Amino acid sequence: MTLDTRPRLALAGVKPQARKRTGRFSHRLWRRLSQIGFAAFIAFVIVQHWLAGDTSATTAASAEAFCPFGGLETLYHFVTSSGKFVPHVHMSNLVLAVAVLLTALLARSAFCGWICPLGFLQDLASGASSQLQRRVPAVHRFVRTLKTRAAFLAVLDRPLRFLKYGVLVWAVGGAALFGVMVSRDYDPWAALLTIAEFSLTPGLLVLLVTLGASFFVERPWCRYACPLGAASGLVARLGPVYLKRHAPACHGCAVCNKACPMGLDVAKAATIKSPDCIGCLECVASCPRAGALELKVGLPAVGK
Amino acid sequence: MSLKPTIFGFLALAIFLGTIATAQTAGLWSTSGKVTTSGEKVAPTGASVEEIKGWMTLGDIAKAYNVSVAEIAQTFALPAEQATPDKPLKELESETFSVTNLRQWLAERQAQAP
Repeated sequence: MTLDTRPRLALAGVKPQARKRTGRFSHRLWRRLSQIGFAAFIAFVIVQHWLAGDTSATTAASAEAFCPFGGLETLYHFVTSSGKFVPHVHMSNLVLAVAVLLTALLARSAFCGWICPLGFLQDLASGASSQLQRRVPAVHRFVRTLKTRAAFLAVLDRPLRFLKYGVLVWAVGGAALFGVMVSRDYDPWAALLTIAEFSLTPGLLVLLVTLGASFFVERPWCRYACPLGAASGLVARLGPVYLKRHAPACHGCAVCNKACPMGLDVAKAATIKSPDCIGCLECVASCPRAGALELKVGLPAVGK
Repeated sequence: MSLKPTIFGFLALAIFLGTIATAQTAGLWSTSGKVTTSGEKVAPTGASVEEIKGWMTLGDIAKAYNVSVAEIAQTFALPAEQATPDKPLKELESETFSVTNLRQWLAERQAQAP
């Protein structure tokens, strides 16, 4: 069914035209380059630290020194003990935590969408799944059947998204109470950063499960369990940047919903200020209608 | 006011990297417990057992806390061939020895000292 939306579009001040093809240097390209750059840097640090070894004679930074969440975990200890850190945390972690939260305040959770190498790894796994399904029909049928049979689990999606706030309280509260990173052994990011130590930890298992689950659900760690994303999302709600869907210009095709790696219902919302939004703007890039989805800057906290 | 997605991305990167650059310029950046934010090497001083880290060597600890390597090795039943002054503590960890155990022992030893 095709409706003539021109009068409504004219009232809304939106041109009723299809979106122009995105240029060669679209934000998608820059986002991927940014993700690749940060992932390559972390890989370099892991290899450099592994080659240098860890004795008092060497000062090659451990990749753990570049984990922003370590900064959040040590914050209470740092303030209450006049500048001391919990083990495995340095000043760089604290600075990175501040950088992530400041980015969240001014540019939503863009850290998750543009920078985080763990998010990028999940994107790669999901991309590999899509490619595989496209090329091997049997895999496509298998995934489709699995998704159909597991469709009843969709009711768990919303409640499970609150899990990450529990992880945040446990990890930050535990570090404040006990003076050590209680979540470290279970943290897939920490497992990845210390992968050169070849130690089998629960965190490594969580990492493998996360990457495996990414073949069926996009960004499972970010959706349900990432404590840094939880903190970033909460701060992002106070920021001035938000997504606006112009209902008159929108076809209701829901292509944006399919493009959203966090599974947000963009197609029905008037404004998108969800703490789960990672600022990847895949919804904007995928939208076939010019002006239907726009990134806006409004009043802080209110966002309109 | 509208914002283009590419501008948004560059803005986010500028805020993130700008914060790091500002901290580095202000001397608030250190990626290792082995060096201070001003780049000086950290060594145990013997002032507090909390300063002891896994990368420190038996020799570092022996010197700072006025105890012999042999005494540490004997107390924690460390194999003689491994308990050398240049050995980092984390490489000696076993059921009988850990950084936490060493801290406790040295703290008790300091408390008993006249």
